Amino acid sequence: MSAAEDQADVERVLAGDIAAFEAIVRRWQRPLINLAYRFCRDRGRAEDMAQEAFLRAYRSLATWRRDAAFSTWLFAIAANLYRSELRRIPAATVSLEAVAEPQDTRAIDGGLEDEDRDRAVRRAVYALPPKYREALVFFYFHDMDLAATAQSLGLREGTVKARLFRGREMLRGKLPRLLSASGLEVSG
Amino acid sequence: MRDEDLARALKADVDEILPSSGFVASVMEAVRLEAATPPPIPFPWTRAVPGLAAAVLALVAAFVVVVQLARTGVHSSAAVAWPPELVRAWEIANDAGLGWIVAASLLAFVCVRVAMRVAGARG
Repeated sequence: MSAAEDQADVERVLAGDIAAFEAIVRRWQRPLINLAYRFCRDRGRAEDMAQEAFLRAYRSLATWRRDAAFSTWLFAIAANLYRSELRRIPAATVSLEAVAEPQDTRAIDGGLEDEDRDRAVRRAVYALPPKYREALVFFYFHDMDLAATAQSLGLREGTVKARLFRGREMLRGKLPRLLSASGLEVSG
Repeated sequence: MRDEDLARALKADVDEILPSSGFVASVMEAVRLEAATPPPIPFPWTRAVPGLAAAVLALVAAFVVVVQLARTGVHSSAAVAWPPELVRAWEIANDAGLGWIVAASLLAFVCVRVAMRVAGARG
């Protein structure tokens, strides 16, 4: 995704060309909806939340200072909104037992064991406390670097680093139970 | 599980969801609606400030008058120094329970401000 394209589209919108915002929505709909889904675990609600995030971004487009990437700014708006939404109507709590899924039967033939384990690991993230979960979601699931994760979450880099470390430790602690519940083995 | 295995598992795109087909259209419709809506009229602070300042001054003056009247008593010799219109106004206000009205209004104002602040912090 090109930062130059984002900047050009933002300039056009600010100059009065509302249609240029569509390109921004098309470019960022998937990450924003997925981020919302990772907050609320509800597909329909995720789209509603992402739509509201785009609207907020549209309203405050003029406040985007070019010192941060557009994506970071957009994710920060979305993260704030999603947090507020979840404070208003909390998402269903995910327990470790709930995130464990039975192993894909095709894996018996030697097929999908790695993929199952990856999925189990990712699902275990949702059983973590929100502050660790958010850091892991931004850093790993959305492939952000430390600086972008920190800016998006409105935290210092050191805090994010500590949360990532603690989150990974908690995840590692939960994994054996989760994987055995899924019929998988811990490797490495 | 090693760090690199954990990182690889976390970065694997296995649970991505796809936007529904009408999502972009729905967002753009909301954006167009937003653009068509006139911006909210800002509170006219520049015009209101003189009025508010006058109101505050009047309240302070009234407070001073009330305190002085309370100390001396409306019918005492010290009160005679006040213009008779003011004394009459005080008597009428006193009969109408103006003190309670002002106190209730202030209490209502504080309640509304606190409620708005709490709602704003959560919203």
